[in-house]
Amino acid sequence: MIDTYRALDWSYYGPELLEAIFDTIYMVAWAFLLGGFIGLAIGLTLYTTREGGLLSNKPAYVAMNFVVNLIRPIPFVILIAALQPVTIYVIGSGIGNDAVIFVMIWASTFAIARIVEQNLVSIDPGVIEAARAMGASRLRIILTVLLPEALGPLILGYTFVIIALTDMSALAGIIGGGGIGNFAIVEGYNRFNPEVTWLAVIVVIIFVQSLQLVGNWAARKVMRR
Amino acid sequence: MSTAPLIEFNRVSRTYGTGDKTVTAVDDVSLRVDRGEVYGVIGFSGAGKSTLIRLVNGLERPTAGSVHVLGQEISAMREGQLTKVRSRIGMVFQQFNLFHSRDVAGNVAYPLKVAGWKKAERQARVEELLDFVGLTDKASQHPEQLSGGQKQRVGIARALAAKPDILLADESTSALDPNTTGEVLRLLRRANEELGITIVAITHEMEVIRSIADRVAVMDQGRIVETGLVYDVFSSPRETKDASFVGAALKDRPTAEDVQRIRGHATGRLIVVSLQNAAAVSAVLGEAASHGVAFEIVHGGVSTTKNASYGLLTLALEGDTSAVETFVMALNAAGEVQEVHE
Repeated sequence: MIDTYRALDWSYYGPELLEAIFDTIYMVAWAFLLGGFIGLAIGLTLYTTREGGLLSNKPAYVAMNFVVNLIRPIPFVILIAALQPVTIYVIGSGIGNDAVIFVMIWASTFAIARIVEQNLVSIDPGVIEAARAMGASRLRIILTVLLPEALGPLILGYTFVIIALTDMSALAGIIGGGGIGNFAIVEGYNRFNPEVTWLAVIVVIIFVQSLQLVGNWAARKVMRR
Repeated sequence: MSTAPLIEFNRVSRTYGTGDKTVTAVDDVSLRVDRGEVYGVIGFSGAGKSTLIRLVNGLERPTAGSVHVLGQEISAMREGQLTKVRSRIGMVFQQFNLFHSRDVAGNVAYPLKVAGWKKAERQARVEELLDFVGLTDKASQHPEQLSGGQKQRVGIARALAAKPDILLADESTSALDPNTTGEVLRLLRRANEELGITIVAITHEMEVIRSIADRVAVMDQGRIVETGLVYDVFSSPRETKDASFVGAALKDRPTAEDVQRIRGHATGRLIVVSLQNAAAVSAVLGEAASHGVAFEIVHGGVSTTKNASYGLLTLALEGDTSAVETFVMALNAAGEVQEVHE
């Protein structure tokens, strides 16, 4: 093992790996930011339009729920292919990192929508009733009661999604995107360089573990347990 | 304006569901609550009390009739229009419903933020309220660090924060043990007496009505079956099946089982005497020996309301039949006597 590792030519792989790490962070960060925001909005819509919810509206709930169920089960690699016309229309290109981000936004939006909805459902309805009884407006209740009360589980849910996004970003290579996944396949697997593949594996493990640790720490801090 | 009732229900009904599955939670209820009084509503669970109290601040909407509160027709307003009037109605809940994402001071400050108070005013008001409920030292603690009684005191401070005219107490002591129940009830009473706030309290606990209410309504299957001053309703509950709640809760008359047990040791005539004038009854009982009558107290007791006491005492009387009869006549002059049916 020690011999094979010495075989790694860092002057070549070093910059390649750094660029791959940067690409992964770039894709995951943008998809997480936008998907996280749109998903939050859709999740809140799902929760509040439910029967008995703050904005109870059956047709809106049924329609939104249907769309979420429609997109969610599509495997990411198929979603990349299926969305390509839309991707070209919006991004201007069907290939590259930005095209991958576009598809990742779709996937993370609907995952987050469901996670947000599920965590809000577990909030004690009594707390919402108390806020209503104090004369708080519905928007105020959403922003100052619903979200703070569910913040701990929401952080854990978002952590789950950012790790899922890291997983998705590894497929970027199939439409010409970069990132650690592409690095592992192009530089390692395709060139029969298992040590390079393993290098990518180690980087991904460190990346994911760090995200999980930060997520756990933040959630624990919020929940004070 | 000052003579108008603070809360007025006019033939209010609230039903859930449609067709065969229709459930009537509140059935044709009319009531009025005046400024400064403590109005208690008592009934078994499922009697419609929770729905009734939520009709006051528009958390529930009537399916028939009208609800007027603070001079406004609550029942005609949309959710968005209710925010202003709701900030004048505080509410205390059975399960406290404190915000776990906020500390004690944050919970009390929340309704002030909603009402648009400035930060300095909020801080001063929160301090004042925490002092009122005796939790100044807990200001920066979180709800899960508090005991049940402390949580409810925070709930009361929060409900009183925006200086409301009305306080709604929804089974405010039902999740508490007897000691903390007393603590919370004293606090509600102080809120009424010192701050002049009008209270509507719903409960299934007689204790609550007895210690804080001025007037009481007995609720059963969505209807108000009896209403009046607490003393009147408790000291002479109407002899109907509907009003059985009062008797069941007071336990002041021996049940058939009680009588059977009493009969195991006492053989004399069983009577129930009312203690509305306890002193007079006591005086007559003191003369029992001179009538040639021996008595044994076999059931009953005295209870105290906000400003009077009442109760029933069941006695077993031993002695010569005519002597007992004379004694019962004397007793009847001091307090109403009824025979116990076996």
